Amino acid sequence: MINVLSTNITSPLGLTTEQNYRAVLSGASALRRYGPKAGEDRGPWGTTEPFAASLFSEAQRAEFVIDGHTFFEALAIRSVREALSHTKLDISSPRVVLILSTTKGNIGQPVRYYPSEAATEIAKTLGVTTTPIVVCNACVSGLSAQLLADRLLSQGIYDYAIVVGAEVQGLFIVSGFQALKAVSEDPCRPFDMERNGLNPGEAAATIVFAKTADGQGWWLADGAAQGDAYHIVSPSPGAEGLTAAIEAVMKGRDKGQLGAVCVHGTATLYNDQMESKAIQKAGLTDVPLSALKGNYGHTMGAAGVLETILSMRAADAGTVLPTKGFTELGVRGKVSISDAPQLTDKTAFLKIMSGFGGCNVAALYQKQAVPPTPFRGSTRPWTKVRTVKLCSKDGQTLTDIYRQEIGNYPKFHKMDILSRLAFVVAERLLKASSQEAETGEGQGSEVDVILFNHSSSVVADRQYLATICEDAESFIPLSRERFFPSPAAFVYTLPNIAASEVAIRHHLHGETSFYILPERDEALMQQILEATLAKTNMRTAISGWVDAESETNYECELSIYKTTS
Amino acid sequence: MEQLIKDLKLQIKEVLNLEELSLEDFDTDAPLFGDEGIGLDSIDVLEIIVLLEKEYGIRLANPKEGKAIFKSVRTIAEYVQQNRKK
Repeated sequence: MINVLSTNITSPLGLTTEQNYRAVLSGASALRRYGPKAGEDRGPWGTTEPFAASLFSEAQRAEFVIDGHTFFEALAIRSVREALSHTKLDISSPRVVLILSTTKGNIGQPVRYYPSEAATEIAKTLGVTTTPIVVCNACVSGLSAQLLADRLLSQGIYDYAIVVGAEVQGLFIVSGFQALKAVSEDPCRPFDMERNGLNPGEAAATIVFAKTADGQGWWLADGAAQGDAYHIVSPSPGAEGLTAAIEAVMKGRDKGQLGAVCVHGTATLYNDQMESKAIQKAGLTDVPLSALKGNYGHTMGAAGVLETILSMRAADAGTVLPTKGFTELGVRGKVSISDAPQLTDKTAFLKIMSGFGGCNVAALYQKQAVPPTPFRGSTRPWTKVRTVKLCSKDGQTLTDIYRQEIGNYPKFHKMDILSRLAFVVAERLLKASSQEAETGEGQGSEVDVILFNHSSSVVADRQYLATICEDAESFIPLSRERFFPSPAAFVYTLPNIAASEVAIRHHLHGETSFYILPERDEALMQQILEATLAKTNMRTAISGWVDAESETNYECELSIYKTTS
Repeated sequence: MEQLIKDLKLQIKEVLNLEELSLEDFDTDAPLFGDEGIGLDSIDVLEIIVLLEKEYGIRLANPKEGKAIFKSVRTIAEYVQQNRKK
């Protein structure tokens, strides 16, 4: 468990946590309708369909400008600086780590294409001297980043973690979600009968965590991640993964202490349905829910951080935040949700999120003077059981390896290069390891897939960009007659899908995580892995480096790690 | 109609990367979804929607409308024949 030292939210609704809390409490929303104007066939950035979104105004954007930085970087820096202004933290200390949560970072900008490059520049400008870590786990990134902070601080690797989530919108993300038919052209309606999709949102949000109790009394008491291993986009209809994550966090704890559950509530048909089922299954039907996408839209990499901060601030005021856009319950699971603020005298809440790749995360926050009792976690020793390496210089193509050694998994041909690479190496690893003996076949809930790289999903990004832009460098949108965003290509622009593909293939329901680093740093990867194994009680993990700079330049080294009792 | 069915099979195979499905085995009346047939999923539907717009000028805003249309290659062909704009 780790202590919250300071927070900030920088959004179109306000520049501080307090401004944002007041705005949400008063029912404000930054969602506006965008699209082609009358007589024109293209909307903002070259989009072709109308959409509602929460975007910074030109005047707001102008306020954040920092010379030499993109808007995305400046936004993150601004949020971190404001959060740090309430602390006396020496961020140049080697005991401080910066964790950046984002799905697409500087996408659409001509510089620092890789998220790790953006993170390095942000860290440099802030004065952070340790290696920044980018968490890229689709929609759950903001919560995953906090779990990572908990693990690294609890293991004593650092004393302070600055977790910043940030996302900026543009043609890439908006057209992709529109291709997936997931975007509503009206302000979204979480959990409502009439919900018909999400709204993209921009924001940055920061939580500064401390290992010791020198903060405001809020603690990230526990967190858990479970994978669906069901489908790369659709959540498991039975909500098994999210239910398991909630139950892991609440095991041995009194559910009556919860004042609220801050749900993901994207207002897509399937997400909200699945979340409602998980809440009912986990026995949380009577706990008031709050969903904040009606105020901010889906701020993606920022969402998990932003929504956690607002939930803490609301609980401080004895309030459960209203769910803007909700009118009539439109989900099957029995839940308690309202468009009006509710009162609570409880100072604990649960934050849950689910995302592409079948990731599900639950985290428990408690406000108290002394650290909450850790219920899970161990320091069991682990061993590296087996390693398999593969790189483009080996000469054999991934498709050849698939045909010769695997076959009978036609989905392979749909995957991008990163997923194919992870898939093929994991296949060799598991075959060579006599699966039963070394990964605990049949106990897939106890196997994590934790991957690292430098190049994120650059090849898939280029493939998707080819369906919307003249070329990957200019970002000039294709003419209307040639503009056909590919939903399948877009999905693979989330690198964590590579971990998901491995998990789906082998029915591994543990955590699937993807971290992006400035370079292949074995020591840091080892620290993250050890901290994860210690915190999650996992028996086994498949972990390692999987990087593809191009179709012909890639390398992968995966190992099976096993904890020993 | 037969030529349209042939074209659609080629286009669907290409756009969905159905490498292991030969055109000879691509049954015109086989269900496209579920274990019984070709085994396509929700992303494949969306990709076919893009295909219909790109190749035939047909815009299908709501994937739910496609439930009846996407039963098989034959039902897609019938829909395309009635609604194509190019």
